[in-house]
Amino acid sequence: MSVLAVTFDAFTNVEFWIGVGVLAGAYAIFALGLQLNVGYTGIVNFGQAGFMAIGAYAMGILVVDHGVSFWLALPLATLIAMAAGVLIGLPALRLRSDYFAIVTIAFAEMIRYTAQNARELTGGNQGLLGFDDDWVEFSIEVQDSLASVGLGDQFLLPLLLAVWTTLLVLTVLLRRVTNSPWGRVLRAIREDEDAARALGKNVFAYKLQSLAIAAGVGAISGYFLVLNLAFINPQQFEPLVTFLGYAVLVLGGLASYVGVIIGAVILWTLLEATRFIDLPLSAEKVASLRFIIVGLILILLMAFRPQGILGKKEEMVLGD
Amino acid sequence: MDAGTSSRPAVDASHRRALRYLAQRPPLVVALIMLVALLALVITEGLQPTAQRTVNGFVSGSYFALGAVGLTLVYGTLKLVNFAHGDFLTFGAYIAFLFSVSVGLPLIVAAAIAVAATALLGVGTERVMWRPMRERKAGLLQLLLMTIGLAFVLRNSIQFVAGTQPRTLDVDVESSVAFLGLRIGRTELIVVAIGFAVLVGIAMMLRSTSLGKQMRALSDDFDLASVTGIDTDRIVTVTWIFAAGSAGLAGVLYTSAIGTLTPNIGFFLLLSLFAAVILGGIGNAYGALAGGLIIGLAQEWSTLLVDARWKVAVGFIVLILVLIVRPQGLFGRERTV
Amino acid sequence: MTDTSPTTADPTARAAGDRLLDVRDVVKRFGGINAVDGATLDVVRGSITALIGPNGAGKTTLFNVLTGFYRPESGAVVYDGKSIFRRQPHVIARRGMVRTFQITKALGAMPVIDNMMLAAPHQPGEHLATLLFRPLASRQREKEVRARALELLDVFGLTAKADDYAGTLSGGQRKLLELARALMVEPRFVLLDEPMAGINPTLGARLLDHMARLREEDGVTFLFIEHDMEVVMGHSDRVIVMAQGRVIADGAPDVVRNDPRVIDAYLGDPDRRGAAS
Repeated sequence: MSVLAVTFDAFTNVEFWIGVGVLAGAYAIFALGLQLNVGYTGIVNFGQAGFMAIGAYAMGILVVDHGVSFWLALPLATLIAMAAGVLIGLPALRLRSDYFAIVTIAFAEMIRYTAQNARELTGGNQGLLGFDDDWVEFSIEVQDSLASVGLGDQFLLPLLLAVWTTLLVLTVLLRRVTNSPWGRVLRAIREDEDAARALGKNVFAYKLQSLAIAAGVGAISGYFLVLNLAFINPQQFEPLVTFLGYAVLVLGGLASYVGVIIGAVILWTLLEATRFIDLPLSAEKVASLRFIIVGLILILLMAFRPQGILGKKEEMVLGD
Repeated sequence: MDAGTSSRPAVDASHRRALRYLAQRPPLVVALIMLVALLALVITEGLQPTAQRTVNGFVSGSYFALGAVGLTLVYGTLKLVNFAHGDFLTFGAYIAFLFSVSVGLPLIVAAAIAVAATALLGVGTERVMWRPMRERKAGLLQLLLMTIGLAFVLRNSIQFVAGTQPRTLDVDVESSVAFLGLRIGRTELIVVAIGFAVLVGIAMMLRSTSLGKQMRALSDDFDLASVTGIDTDRIVTVTWIFAAGSAGLAGVLYTSAIGTLTPNIGFFLLLSLFAAVILGGIGNAYGALAGGLIIGLAQEWSTLLVDARWKVAVGFIVLILVLIVRPQGLFGRERTV
Repeated sequence: MTDTSPTTADPTARAAGDRLLDVRDVVKRFGGINAVDGATLDVVRGSITALIGPNGAGKTTLFNVLTGFYRPESGAVVYDGKSIFRRQPHVIARRGMVRTFQITKALGAMPVIDNMMLAAPHQPGEHLATLLFRPLASRQREKEVRARALELLDVFGLTAKADDYAGTLSGGQRKLLELARALMVEPRFVLLDEPMAGINPTLGARLLDHMARLREEDGVTFLFIEHDMEVVMGHSDRVIVMAQGRVIADGAPDVVRNDPRVIDAYLGDPDRRGAAS
């Protein structure tokens, strides 16, 4: 019989938890886009990792290959990702939900695959480096200012602050926009597209807008994830990322933006906290175990509490 | 310029008739396209390379088709998009590995055990997961995410037990058979033979046996079939046996042909399988057969034109094209979209 | 071809300019069957017209074709002088031609008041660009829309339920909500699919009064499918009868009810044997 030993001082390892915070925050942003699509519009977007990849690579290529300023590349790449959302949405959004899920996964894999094989453009599996010089400079300045309040020794702290500020701003914006008349049309589409059409709403246009916004938000989450690693490579955009995004979504609850934040924090705490449990298993096995747990969470949640922690049962409708 | 004015309308009319004939028979159009492509490749790249790739295409086509059949059967009957299907292939391959390499049984026996084990796994998921969810009228997203969760659990359980290092089945990768200046590995030949035999068997079962007819009835209209006295529970179970069993076999065949086995092979194949299923028309077993073969051939032919690392992209491109141009696929009916 | 020998229709009232809706030889096919098999009819501006017929006559199918939810094989549909043949449903709705559904499409996952406010036309806040750059316009319109929604809910007796999820409404209440919601659109032409089904007679009478008032005061035109013959006879200016995908009779209520072809069509439908008498 093995004894589980939990190393308590590890729990207070600030650097570690800042890293978790960055991941949780970035995934929360990623899932905000999914929430808009799935929870509020009823479109089952499984290509979010693809938009993330387009945004990240567009940014990286603009900075490294074309000398564009990092700060300018960010909004430009976001627009490129949104354009991709429109491009893929035009043919795909008229498909039925299950076909839409399949075609969006295929699209995301195409992007990742292209990133892997178009080596001259993207660096292939070796990845893209050197796009973050401006950010690092800025980050160090922020660190210096933080030093004046005694928080200057954490390298990732500026990134954490950036991620969570962006997350909160986006959450507020998205809530505003979803509770508006525009958002009301989305919610009607979510439940019954024909009802919306019969009332004069151009359903296709709304779905396209929803997808484009989600693509932009996905791109933004991508920037934070690649800044975290200082490196862009195709492995960061595997379907696993989208599936984890959905895990965040269903944990926190459909149709709840705050739920997304809670879901992200819970999921990443769970995933990373397992590092501290001293199981008599190799690191590889622990990694597998973590994902088995994620899978079980998905299955059990969907079976017994599909609305998640904060979701509302009455709003659990997806007209398909 | 006036010569033959009287015959021109007749020519136009027969052109239009021919076009209409073709428009109603997409499989014929695709077959013609492939024939034209084949001829073009023979002319530009040479007979031998094209023929060799065609042989390779049949090999991969056989396990694509076998993998796709299961996916489409489950969708047809239960309208379930099973993202865990690829991991059924992986499961089958690992069971075969376990019993052939670790335990020492002959590969044929191990493969049979693998098929049975995967079939059992499929039925298990039906009893434990899908039937209760059907009773609760679960929605699309719920089911999709459950299949994804299942995929996570399956793949990572295999990884937990067997680790990530690549394994190989104890197959003959050296000897090959030569004919007409073409080479096919001895193992590959066996793979094609078994694959096609099983596929033909399944096709015949669906077409001629009472069981097959009931499966097709259920696939056409579940509610209608259940009120006409068909024992839906039994047919659904049988569907899972065929679907999961063929997936397990496809996994074994794939690993035999390719040589290496890792926990990810199934998921890696899954998108090509979806491409085959959708190309053929989702829910249609014959479509999956045709789709698998076409994808296999297309992938191998593409290596004549572009670097082999782009092979897998062919599947994605076909998938996206089909969904844009003709979402119901080759054999599907218009109303299904 | 259609046989629409009109029975004592006043020819002057049906001059082209007074026809709000003009339908000619519409065909809609499903599989091998023509659910609508060459239907020709017209609706006079400002009238209340009933569309009746035995089950399976193609009435709802025709509604779906007229409002853009089904794509017809052939024919012509002209609304207010412009063709709406094969136009998209939301475009037709925006032109003021609005419909309700036989199986209601009340949006259960939204509160009743939201259902109503959703339907209001000219809400700039429904357009993303306007929402972001002119938020005040949106807020102003929301106030107006909310006030109007509450008024209408009052007419239909649903005020108490305004903040509840529409999913908690009874079947009859959902029908009322759907009707109220359709009226929120400020339509010119309302197509109602069995509006009286499942509604108690008192409330039904109120509805009919409201319809009459809308016709008198705002010139709204109504076309409704109904099986309740009392309602049809007592409250419509004109009755169009469909059977087997075609219009077989068309005229004043009393005349149509005695038309032998109409009686025949209903006698052929066992559920409705008593209805035509």
